[in-house]
Amino acid sequence: MSSVLQLKNVRKAFAGVPALAGIDAALADNSYISLLGPSGSGKTTLLRVIAGFEQPDGGEILFAGRRIDGVPPHERGIGFVFQNFALFPHLSVAQNIAFGLENRAIDPVTDGRIVAARVRDMIGLVGLSGLEDRAITQISGGQKQRVALARTLVTEPSMVLLDEPLGALDANLRTRMRGELRTIRERCGVTFLHVTGSETEALAMGDTVLVLDRGRIAQSADAGTLYSRPASADVARFLNCYNIFPGEIAGESFVSPVGALALGGLTQASGKPGYAIRYDRVSIRPRDAAPAGDEVRIEGSFVASEYSGAAVNSFFTLDDGRVFEVETHLSHAAPEAYEERGRYALVWKREDALVFA
Amino acid sequence: MNATGIKFGLGLYTALFIVFLYGPLAVLAILSFQTGPEGGPQFPIIEWSTYWYKHLFGLTPPSRIAPLPIEQALVRSLTLAVMTMIVSTVLGVTAAQAFRKKFRGSGVVFYLIVLGMMVPGVLVGLGMALVANTLGIDRHWWGTAFVLHVVYTFPFAFLVMLAIFNRFDPSVEEAAWSLGVTPGRTFRKITFPLIFPGVLSAMLFAFTLSYDEFSRTLFASGRDLTLPLAIYGTFSVEVHPNVFAFGVLTTLFSFALLGTYAVLMGLSVRRAKRFAIQEEA
Repeated sequence: MSSVLQLKNVRKAFAGVPALAGIDAALADNSYISLLGPSGSGKTTLLRVIAGFEQPDGGEILFAGRRIDGVPPHERGIGFVFQNFALFPHLSVAQNIAFGLENRAIDPVTDGRIVAARVRDMIGLVGLSGLEDRAITQISGGQKQRVALARTLVTEPSMVLLDEPLGALDANLRTRMRGELRTIRERCGVTFLHVTGSETEALAMGDTVLVLDRGRIAQSADAGTLYSRPASADVARFLNCYNIFPGEIAGESFVSPVGALALGGLTQASGKPGYAIRYDRVSIRPRDAAPAGDEVRIEGSFVASEYSGAAVNSFFTLDDGRVFEVETHLSHAAPEAYEERGRYALVWKREDALVFA
Repeated sequence: MNATGIKFGLGLYTALFIVFLYGPLAVLAILSFQTGPEGGPQFPIIEWSTYWYKHLFGLTPPSRIAPLPIEQALVRSLTLAVMTMIVSTVLGVTAAQAFRKKFRGSGVVFYLIVLGMMVPGVLVGLGMALVANTLGIDRHWWGTAFVLHVVYTFPFAFLVMLAIFNRFDPSVEEAAWSLGVTPGRTFRKITFPLIFPGVLSAMLFAFTLSYDEFSRTLFASGRDLTLPLAIYGTFSVEVHPNVFAFGVLTTLFSFALLGTYAVLMGLSVRRAKRFAIQEEA
């Protein structure tokens, strides 16, 4: 698959503080890419640099083979969907969507009938039929989201940047819009670069997930690989499904604050040592149960559990005060009741752990 | 003090405030209906009449009281106010637009602009007269005085627009750019309609401030007088209620101006209202 956007060592600092510390990435054409990063990781800055609202301090940005850093935003042909939607408040829904077609510098559509036809098609595509003449103050958050998307898509950009597009919506709507965004993107055949701080959203949406950490791309992988093989302890932490221990490898075990953990699985080089075990790979056993030969065992006191329907998350405090989370899926078992402040053995298979050296 | 007491106190305060605010205007309005030509600008009202209004328009038989020499002055003042309004508003909008981004020396430029409304008017007027004399420039209401009016009203327009831009969400402009629309067209089609209520306020400020500007104009306007100067000139002879009648008419004119402002403001939000009604239907 050819890449539509290439970033080469893109750098940007604000008042001496680096926001982007050398970004290298290539985004595939006709794909859904999510950009995951904690707040302050520079993800919005990266998006604004790609759109041309901010100038990078250095590096190259190539869009469809053309170098675009230094090109003003209106000549880039890259769409942008804002978190707050940024709709034109003095125009109706249809006028908002028609605005780009009628007013763009390159190839404006002057024939009112063509504009109307394309606006009508787009309104149908995003499911806003019947709301054409509404003022944008008269529609709901989800509808505004669709207008913002339609306004951008109708100009047929080859790439659309979405800055936390679902952030302003309530949880129910967010889940529904996820699926719709994917469907709409597939129908239009454009590349979406979707910035989000939510790991579930990033995993659910992206064909490729880019993880941004402290101004650098920490990992670029498909959702499955990212989830099961994060490239570093920091990436694992953003995924919010790993218990992570600091420490270092010594011989056949990883020495952590809660004791030596026997090695057995994959060890990856990542620059910073760490030991990660997924929440759902851990089983909770009575304190006196003996572990099998290929298992790692630590102890913790039960604090509380959180029931979420299909799974229950139990929280334990370890001897060094750290909180340890275990996710138990309830498809085959009823939730067990644990005794508060009781000691339990937390056991996992050696090979299930991810070790970073 | 209990709640009723506080309410009463505040009510009294408001009443006094209104009396002092509109008292002079009310007195002026009442005295303008004094009988003429023998009635003077004081109480009691000898007899109610519209004599001084007719006198203003030359509709009364000739008497010893000369008509107010204001006809040309009024035209001058209105022309000057419109010129000032246009130039100051354009300058105010563009300057405030420039201040949306920090630039080198923006602090100094800000104070230089605001200085225009701070410095004492008489001094600036005198200074302008001296400069004009030194450089051999004739003083005219449409020249030297006009420049001073712009210097004086531009900061007001500028500050109004600065406040408007402060609340303006720049992401709508970025959205337009990302749709392929040039910054110039974006300003015309998106930014300007959204800041239009502010532009109207800036225009109103510039117009009214210029229309009754006295101290700067006094030395800078040269031979032909503007309205405030012409009215002041009549005081030096003898005050007759015809000045009051004129004052009432000017006030009515100001109300008309405010009314126009309100209507235009209303028009700029009409669209939203119309949609609101559709929503309810």
